[in-house]
Amino acid sequence: MALAVALVGFGVVTGVASGLLGVGGGIMMVPFLTLAVGLSQHAAEATSLLVVLPTAIVGSVVLRRRGVGDLGIALRVGLAGSLGGAGGAALALSLPGHTLRVVFAAFLGLVGLKLVHDALRREEAGT
Amino acid sequence: MLLRSGVAPRTSRSLVSLFRLEPRLVAIGLLGGILSGLLGVGGGVIMVPLLVLWAGYEQRSAHAASLGAIIPISIAGILTFGVAGAVHVPEAAGLACGSIVGARFGAGLLASIDERLLKLVFGAFLAAVAVLLAVRT
Repeated sequence: MALAVALVGFGVVTGVASGLLGVGGGIMMVPFLTLAVGLSQHAAEATSLLVVLPTAIVGSVVLRRRGVGDLGIALRVGLAGSLGGAGGAALALSLPGHTLRVVFAAFLGLVGLKLVHDALRREEAGT
Repeated sequence: MLLRSGVAPRTSRSLVSLFRLEPRLVAIGLLGGILSGLLGVGGGVIMVPLLVLWAGYEQRSAHAASLGAIIPISIAGILTFGVAGAVHVPEAAGLACGSIVGARFGAGLLASIDERLLKLVFGAFLAAVAVLLAVRT
């Protein structure tokens, strides 16, 4: 029961972040599912994707209603992406869980550094 | 940055013409997809920055495009992982119950939020996640 409440509650937080930031929310759910729920890295990733799908659909429907963005182009970008997605998932299944975690952390660290760098540069430019 | 949005269409290869998209958008989709499948995330963390910095999208449009692109990308990932039997449906159902409610609110916020504030929130979000992961690994 406590787990169910935690799952739904964490889902709400993830959903808000996902809708606002246009990310799937997997970046938050994968650590949550491994650390708090105790799933393996592979199971956490697969389960996270199953949550990402309805979240992205609901968010996209709201944005379309509000006239934000172009869902047609977005879906075609995603169609191209789905080719990469199948390949990436197959690769993930063939790698040990620990390797995946290191790849995940390194990837986020790089994006984070880039953003901090950009933010500092914007500040210097005074914009 | 805005000036770069008018990218001249190159002589398209078959993959590009298949989707009737700028090559850059196809490349961004592919990159987002590979990361999504590899890491079990939506791929938005890489697609949003690339859409803004490389494809010349405005911040708000980039977030919306990323969210839409995540739909087919996550379907592909689920099918691939599903075949391997790794999906835990009860946990996913619990999370999805909450996230659907949250997404309605979040997307409404995206439609009205100030673009500069959006940039700051997104930057802070990614930086925070990166730090958390660095501490954990």
